[in-house]
Amino acid sequence: MAGEVILSARGLNVAFPRAGGEAHVVKDFSLDIRAGEFVGLMGQPGCGKSTASVALMGLVKPPGRIVSGSVSFLGRDLLTLDEPELREVRGKDVGLIVQNPRTSLHPMLNVGSQISNVYRSHNKVGANEAWKHAIVMLRMVGINDPERRVHAYPHELSTGMTQRVLIAMALSSHPRLLIADEPTSGLDVTIQAQFLDQMWEATQATGSAVLLVTQNLGIVANYCDRVVVMADGTIVESAPVREFFEAPQNEYSRKVLSLQRAAQGNDPAAPMARSVDVPAGKPLISVRDLSKDFDIRGSKAKVHAVDHASFNIRPRECLGLVGESGSGKTTVGRCLLRLEAPTGGEIFFGETPLHSLSDDELRRLRTKLQIVFQDPFDSMNPRWSAADIIGEMLDLHTSWRGAEKAARIDELLTLVGLEPSIRNASPRQLSAGRQQRIAIARAIATAPDFIVLDEPTSALTPETTAEIIRLLMDLSKRLGIAYLFISHDLTTVRYICHRVAVMYLGQVVEIGTKEQVLGAPRHPYSKALLSSHLFPDLSHRRVARKERTSLKGEIPSPIDLPRGCYLFGRCPSQVERCRDTPQHLVALPDAREVRCWRVEAGEI
Amino acid sequence: MIGRFVLKRLGIAFLQLIGVALVVFFMIRMLPADPVARLVGMNASKDAYEQSARALGVDQPLWQQLANFLGVFSNSGQKGLLQGNLGVSWVTNTPVLTEIRDVLPVTLEIVTYSLLLAFLIALPLGLASARKPGGIADRITLIWGMFAGAQPDFWWGLLFVFVFYFLLNVAPPPMGRIDPLLATPQAITGFMTIDTLLQGRFDAFLSALHHLMLPVLTLVYVVSGAIVKMVRTNTLRALQSDYILYARASGLPEAQVARYALRAALTPAITLVGIFYSVLLSAAVTIEVVFTMGGIGQYAVRSILAFDYPAIQGVVLVVAFVSLMIYLLLDIVHAYLDPRIRY
Amino acid sequence: MADRIVTVPEEIDQHIDVALLHTDTRFRFRERLRKDPLFLIGSIIVALSLFLAAFGPHIAPYDPTAATAEIAEPPPALSEWPGLLVGVIRGTNEAPPHWLGTDQSGLDVFSRVIAAPRTDITIALAGALLSLALGTIIGLVAGFYRNWATEIVMRVSDVLQAFPVFITAMLLVTLSGRSVINIVIALALVYTPIFVRLTRAEVMSQSARGYVEAARAAGNRPFMIALKHILPNSMVPALVQTSVTIGFAIILTAGLSFVGAGVRPPAPEWGLMISHGASQLILGEWWTSVFPGIAMTITVFGYAAIARAFEEWFR
Repeated sequence: MAGEVILSARGLNVAFPRAGGEAHVVKDFSLDIRAGEFVGLMGQPGCGKSTASVALMGLVKPPGRIVSGSVSFLGRDLLTLDEPELREVRGKDVGLIVQNPRTSLHPMLNVGSQISNVYRSHNKVGANEAWKHAIVMLRMVGINDPERRVHAYPHELSTGMTQRVLIAMALSSHPRLLIADEPTSGLDVTIQAQFLDQMWEATQATGSAVLLVTQNLGIVANYCDRVVVMADGTIVESAPVREFFEAPQNEYSRKVLSLQRAAQGNDPAAPMARSVDVPAGKPLISVRDLSKDFDIRGSKAKVHAVDHASFNIRPRECLGLVGESGSGKTTVGRCLLRLEAPTGGEIFFGETPLHSLSDDELRRLRTKLQIVFQDPFDSMNPRWSAADIIGEMLDLHTSWRGAEKAARIDELLTLVGLEPSIRNASPRQLSAGRQQRIAIARAIATAPDFIVLDEPTSALTPETTAEIIRLLMDLSKRLGIAYLFISHDLTTVRYICHRVAVMYLGQVVEIGTKEQVLGAPRHPYSKALLSSHLFPDLSHRRVARKERTSLKGEIPSPIDLPRGCYLFGRCPSQVERCRDTPQHLVALPDAREVRCWRVEAGEI
Repeated sequence: MIGRFVLKRLGIAFLQLIGVALVVFFMIRMLPADPVARLVGMNASKDAYEQSARALGVDQPLWQQLANFLGVFSNSGQKGLLQGNLGVSWVTNTPVLTEIRDVLPVTLEIVTYSLLLAFLIALPLGLASARKPGGIADRITLIWGMFAGAQPDFWWGLLFVFVFYFLLNVAPPPMGRIDPLLATPQAITGFMTIDTLLQGRFDAFLSALHHLMLPVLTLVYVVSGAIVKMVRTNTLRALQSDYILYARASGLPEAQVARYALRAALTPAITLVGIFYSVLLSAAVTIEVVFTMGGIGQYAVRSILAFDYPAIQGVVLVVAFVSLMIYLLLDIVHAYLDPRIRY
Repeated sequence: MADRIVTVPEEIDQHIDVALLHTDTRFRFRERLRKDPLFLIGSIIVALSLFLAAFGPHIAPYDPTAATAEIAEPPPALSEWPGLLVGVIRGTNEAPPHWLGTDQSGLDVFSRVIAAPRTDITIALAGALLSLALGTIIGLVAGFYRNWATEIVMRVSDVLQAFPVFITAMLLVTLSGRSVINIVIALALVYTPIFVRLTRAEVMSQSARGYVEAARAAGNRPFMIALKHILPNSMVPALVQTSVTIGFAIILTAGLSFVGAGVRPPAPEWGLMISHGASQLILGEWWTSVFPGIAMTITVFGYAAIARAFEEWFR
């Protein structure tokens, strides 16, 4: 599959000015890329992978500069070319797709102009023709109604659509090499699958090589031929993908792969959760027909964030709540703690009706019901120390003060795997993983029975994710805490959860044991979600599959919901009856519940 | 979309002006100063005092005075604010609107030229300094920007008079807008430079420029430091942005990249121009006193010191009006250039 | 610029970040004094201004409001200064020298220049601090409780901001009597809307942050959230603005006095001095107006330099 070497970088060095001199962010970077090859470039944040990838085009974000090295592309050293020659290569022979699509497009020009400008800089065509070309490109990357969309400004498009505009720009001249820097961060799983499939197919068709910068093991496992790992500015490992996953040489690689191993049940020291671990019994948390609508300013329409959601959580159980953007999973978590006031439905904590408690009574219950947020730094007062943050819970709900309080804080810090000497540190001085540990310490400070975990590892690196997940499992076992684990990352859900509920557009579409829902999903959306999720599993690579099921189109807006099944219009198994018949959650013989009449009837 | 934006902002500006009128009306009347005593003197008889009070209308209850001022339910027989009448000056007995119409252009002429000149100098300097950090332009900008804080403009004006008039003799004495020996041209627009040209009086035109030299120089000096700093900061931010990097990566020609950068850098700065204009309007008051230009600043000083209520109200309203109109215009231009803020 | 090549690991290793425990978030006053020459100069100037505000009239060689026999005397030439200095130290001068000359009325310029801070700085500080206090309280309430009442407060603040600053200050002072207190109040009224706007914007921005929701989840009452969490985190823009405002206030006070709408003569005040000497300036007697102006410019520059240091720390 891979052909001759088209790009050969040698000894690339990039430096940025720092106090007192310069800091080398990329050191002695050497890499070969062959035609048609799909190379994954991995590393921790700050290791220099983004800078290195962009420097291959001879570009550096000011005030950085390329100090030394050579990049030989199709026989010419890019770093020795002058600007006009370089410009010919950029955008034409080498395409770039960046991480944050919104900030890569000029905010004040419409999409059509920007695509046309790029096209015209490489092809001598008139304005009209370039405009038509832009419309063609948009249609090619799957954007509906391109004649209208071409006039849109970047902030008017969704992130997914903006990213697709960028592919359109990058691929329009059929480049030999495509450099993609974390192109799918921030995209939903099903959209990500669409996007990466598109990129794969387009590059296979044109024979382009791809350099994909990513942290996501799943993407690497499913799409890449070769893996290159960077740390601290240098390349520390470079191997074919199979070799990398089976026998990683580097410390960092090993850490990252540990969770994946555990998730496949390969690590006896850290077994994943099994649904049978939790004994049957009365539920701790019981949710019936929970609904939440948000008003829209200046309009009578409402956003139906949560639509009659029902589920139970038993003591010590971890229920996973998965879904994409607009599914309502985060809102459910907030409603359980009454951080949002539910519009309808009932929430019971044991026998106590949470939905109707007074503010004072609710405040007293906060000792038993806690939450850990997605962004650890954002969830803590930046001026407070770790001791202050954890101590606030103790101040509010206990009478411990002074030495007693300090002792408890130390105890909590140790419980979450931090050394007590960190008590005076401010969150700013700590890595994201440690910040999250402090947030967890804060949540368990008053010995709660139930914690909502709202995407607790989404903002963390893969290796830190592994550690935090293990910590959470450990705490649940030791302290007897039940979790609602909200996440879009099925790998972690598969590891830590006993039961799983799948949400789409505010409705629970399937709920059952983890083995049922993630092992053999029945609802079409669950199936698509699972198949789109990129597990770091080489035995089942997405690009190797004969059929890549994905959902068509975009996720509809939660304001204007369809009359019948919400999935209508995207579902591969839809029939005419689905359009108008509202669907309900129905129990199947194996005790799981599914919201699809065709599944209930045994048709699919 | 932009039409709705304009209408909405116009409505807000109108309401704000009414607000200004109400606030200034009550503000000056709630303060302890006694305008009648000022006018008739400390030794006037009780009769004279009361007669004067009646003439000025201050013997009436407050709400009636407000009604007369606004021109609704008036009992004075005269038109009010809502009909476009600003009242009559208690000092000169001429309509305030007429007086302001004569003095306002003087100030606007100085301020507008100053702002234009300041931008002419500061814009290229700021751009050059951002494109080559550490270069000569950048160093000049940093030093200049240090003086971007507040400056005692009246003192600098005097200093410039001392240096350029007394020591170097290149500037005229700080008295008025043109050489007193020349016949004053007819006022058409009120802008001395334009009027002299319109009437073909080239000698007067040159004299007007000559007399504008120092006041404009002072104001330019006051505001240009801030402009340079602002241009530099915004341009730097644009050049280091992701979209400029991406534009280069797409192979766009350097000239187009520069255009992209310029548009992104300067658009958010447009509303700041309005702030600069207001700053200059404020500074113009003392400058007019120093250079005896006879603009609305001097008019304000005179009116306030004489407790001339209608004139004071008129000045505050007119200056607020000018500021609000400038802000409005700039906001509209900004909304046109930056689609993100149209709502 | 690249004299030393330093390799800096950007991702902080788990074992290293404990070492960073006592750095970063504090202002690090002493270190800043050493490293930032502008901040050093600014601090010296501010300290000097405060010192003179307290002790200026006492250490002045002449009574700032009493006329001396020498009328309109120019300052001694620089060549004479060493001799005069020696005379001061030895005590051999018959009378203290008029370092900066005397004005039209015979008042010693030097004494008046160093006695003026007691008026100028005091007024400016009081005005700026008062508007800071008022502005942040109103801004906090308006930002935290967003209902119809606070909307009205914001509209009023908007209207006040449309007023021309200098003219408004003039009329407030003149129509209420030209006393120091009235000038302070006028300054406060003119500058408060800025602080309200700054604080409110910051409060609204902080209210959207995660830690506010976390504070709710912890079980805090709303009022405690505002006090414990939001207020301390919303003060910084206002604090930075204060130093800038002090500079503006000094100039505004002097400007008011210059046009005759501020402090009453014969109080020593920079603006009054400049206006008193303005007519003579054109005739060449420059010292009466120039020196107070230099003093004022340097002082304002000092406060602006400190403001810049605060701004950089904030970022």
